[in-house]
Amino acid sequence: MGLRTYIVTRILLTIPTLLLLLTTVFLIMRVLPGDPVALHFEKKATEEQMDQMRRLLGLDKPLWQQYTDYLAGIFDIGYLLTYGYPNLGYSMEVTSEAVGAQIFSAFPATLELAIYSMIIASVMGILLGVVASKSYNSILDHLIRGLGTVAYAVPIFFLGIVLQLIFGVYLHWLPTGLRISPTIEPPATITGLYTVDSLLEGNGFKFLESLKALALPSLTLGIVLSGIFVRLTRMNMLETLRLDFVTAARARGLRESTVTYNYALRNAFLPILTMLGLQFAMLLGGAILTETTFSWPGLGRYIVQRINFRDYTAIQGAVVMFGLFVTIVSLAVDVLYAYFDPRIRL
Amino acid sequence: MYYTATVLSNVSTVSSDVSTLTEGVANLTSTISDLAAITGDLADRFNVSIGDLQERLAAIEASLAVRETLIVGTTDSVELTLDPAQAYDYFGWNILQQMGSTLVSVKPGSSTGADFVPDLALSWNSSTDLKTWDFTLRQGITLPGGTTLGATQVKYSFDRAIGLIPKIPEGAPAGLGYDLIFNRTEVLSTYKVRFHLNFPFSPFLGILSARSSTIVDPAYAPMGVQVNYTAGNARTSTPVAFVGPYKLANWVRVGGKDTEIKLDANPNYWNLASGYPKLKHIIFRFYPDAATLRLAIEAGDVDMAFRHISPTDALDLETNPNLRVWWGTGAFIQYLCFQEKYAPFNNRKVRLAIAAAVNRTLVTETVFLGLSKPLYSIIPPGMMGHTEAFKDAGMDTNYTMTRDLLTQAGYGPSNPLAFDLWYESSGHYPNSADQALLYKQAIEAAWPGVITVTLKSADWASYRSNRNNEIMQAYVYGWYPDYVDPDDYSFLYWATWLHTNYYNSTYNPGGYAQYQQQVALYDQARATTNTTIRTQRYAQIDAIAVNQSSVVPLYVSTAWAVTKPSVYGIYLDITQDMRYWLISK
Repeated sequence: MGLRTYIVTRILLTIPTLLLLLTTVFLIMRVLPGDPVALHFEKKATEEQMDQMRRLLGLDKPLWQQYTDYLAGIFDIGYLLTYGYPNLGYSMEVTSEAVGAQIFSAFPATLELAIYSMIIASVMGILLGVVASKSYNSILDHLIRGLGTVAYAVPIFFLGIVLQLIFGVYLHWLPTGLRISPTIEPPATITGLYTVDSLLEGNGFKFLESLKALALPSLTLGIVLSGIFVRLTRMNMLETLRLDFVTAARARGLRESTVTYNYALRNAFLPILTMLGLQFAMLLGGAILTETTFSWPGLGRYIVQRINFRDYTAIQGAVVMFGLFVTIVSLAVDVLYAYFDPRIRL
Repeated sequence: MYYTATVLSNVSTVSSDVSTLTEGVANLTSTISDLAAITGDLADRFNVSIGDLQERLAAIEASLAVRETLIVGTTDSVELTLDPAQAYDYFGWNILQQMGSTLVSVKPGSSTGADFVPDLALSWNSSTDLKTWDFTLRQGITLPGGTTLGATQVKYSFDRAIGLIPKIPEGAPAGLGYDLIFNRTEVLSTYKVRFHLNFPFSPFLGILSARSSTIVDPAYAPMGVQVNYTAGNARTSTPVAFVGPYKLANWVRVGGKDTEIKLDANPNYWNLASGYPKLKHIIFRFYPDAATLRLAIEAGDVDMAFRHISPTDALDLETNPNLRVWWGTGAFIQYLCFQEKYAPFNNRKVRLAIAAAVNRTLVTETVFLGLSKPLYSIIPPGMMGHTEAFKDAGMDTNYTMTRDLLTQAGYGPSNPLAFDLWYESSGHYPNSADQALLYKQAIEAAWPGVITVTLKSADWASYRSNRNNEIMQAYVYGWYPDYVDPDDYSFLYWATWLHTNYYNSTYNPGGYAQYQQQVALYDQARATTNTTIRTQRYAQIDAIAVNQSSVVPLYVSTAWAVTKPSVYGIYLDITQDMRYWLISK
């Protein structure tokens, strides 16, 4: 199978995966306790008012029709081209607001947090893993392994609060929440990622301010996620460093850094790459906690708020968005994997 | 001699002038030096890129903005809308208050809430039967669109609010009974307006000072249509006439929750000449909970934290030299409701027994660390008509009374009493779970082995729904006043939206006559301005409430805010209003 065929197959497999996710979420939301119609009314509503609201929310239709309507909306290409986001229906609490618009306004914050956290997690995890493997069984090795375990086990909200206390409250170096200081006008929206938009605007000041705001939440999430990379990198590096081709490289008189990074790490990297993709799913789950701890106005916080209102459409939309994101990342990882390891394509 | 003295005096004056001039020059030099430091010298300027200049400009703007801006951290959010015909939540009303004006308002710092001062109305008077109220409006107030504010806009505002009631039965005008109170609004002249009421109503000024009476701008307030949040357009997100201290500059919501609100000083504010608002911008930052809000104020990310820093944190922060905690009067109350539709609380003696077992002090001292006070009347202390009715009747941690009443009702070791006590679990009310646990412990301690209380909880939306469906046996509820008058508290004993069924003759045949008596007393209190008579009527209502114990007052809160030491001008009075335009830093 050529690389192109492999990619096409993976993309095609993505569709039933997303459909399965969507169907599961759709059904789970409907069996959860709490009626979004009744929750709409401050005072006890009459049957007529309830029916009217049920009709407005589209909940008067049979379940199968609600489901097909929902699917038809998602695959409405015309809507997507007109508004720039898919038709995910309207919020069941604020019926005038399109869920797609809400999600797309919250998603860039989560994406930016995810990107920076993953950079921190992978750089920190891989570097420490390599150092640990190179100093096998030494105090440094034990220390890094311990750190990796602690990082993986520490609850996100706890680490977040500790970092906020140290860098925000005591040292006053970094802000404890939100995406940019409120006295600064956010950069004009191009990508929705403040750091990128500040650079595109050519404004270094806003870039630095955005980066400062990102520092603590992405560090929190990055440290927690780095734990698994430390252990994985160390384990794979230890195995690889014992292989013959590494000994041969050393025998040829190559520098140790070249042997470690160009030869050993490159070969040990494939399982790490797989884990990078898998960790993205965990990262988005962690983002819910991180966003709450740091008042980060992203998709994680959005979901938590919407659950309280049994906002079926909003939760469905957000979960599908998360699913789509994880699927795309997994797909990218699979493609990279196939690129790096030709055996996959065989 | 006189001449010499004059010369000396002149020399002294000149010397003083020279000294002032020298100081001025020094200041100027320093300013120029600062400017040079910020922007670089002239030669450098020719070498810097536009990007660098923009960057410097952004930094200077940010620095200036910090000085003229109050950043407020809060866990609140506008519930749904900033349309006075619909909004009915604390934060929404607070934002409305900054942007709009009412005919009258309560004087900042008022201890009773009855000190009304002119706002858009300069003067007013009522007929002796309290059914006709005339207001003379302030002249020369211009709306941002250029229209002059007059009686026509006032009539339009009230006609619109009342007209929308059938469409928005959940809105504040419906909740406050505008359609019952108002008969019609009449334009007497350009600046004179008359309200005809359906019945004598002494707390009318209170109603007019409520946010639901905010005057709207007809250009943004279509008749018969409520105004909803519009993403990306602050002006069309509210129908309010921007004649208050601030105007809405930015409002961003994601998923029905605020993520950004910015208020800018309003050049059309009618009271601009008096030097208000003190600050040019108010920015609200939204935090998910009290813990993150505390961190933000400690880290200096916000200038002020208001609603809700927890009581423990507020007391703790008092010792922080970099912060200041402001204490004020509270008007928020919580009370215990019993569902009379079913057993066991369709039995008056059981209700009385449980009401007698409640230990208010345990909750106020343990959960609120003394920052809330036990409440023995539905009207808070400091307000006309407040009594200690439940205390005077011995209904506080009175276990003997509880046992006697339960025995009379047929309960005892062979027939134990078990019921569910519900509380709200999503932070709508403060420390609900802690409160509920202590209520449970105290009630069960009244007769161990006989009384069993099961705690149950629900998030706010479900809690409200459960209340409407009348499925909670006993439940804790809360109340913020719409206007500070006993009229806005006393009715809680029989409020139909609480769904206690106390007012229902089918479920409460024994107490129905007493309910009717309470309503009659309430109407009598409404129909007079005589404070002695009003006080007596509210006391009589309290006495009946004790005897029926359908709704049992629990505690009244204290208000607090935490600020940086440089912030001042905060009034935390009985109105619970935060008047941001009075705040300086």
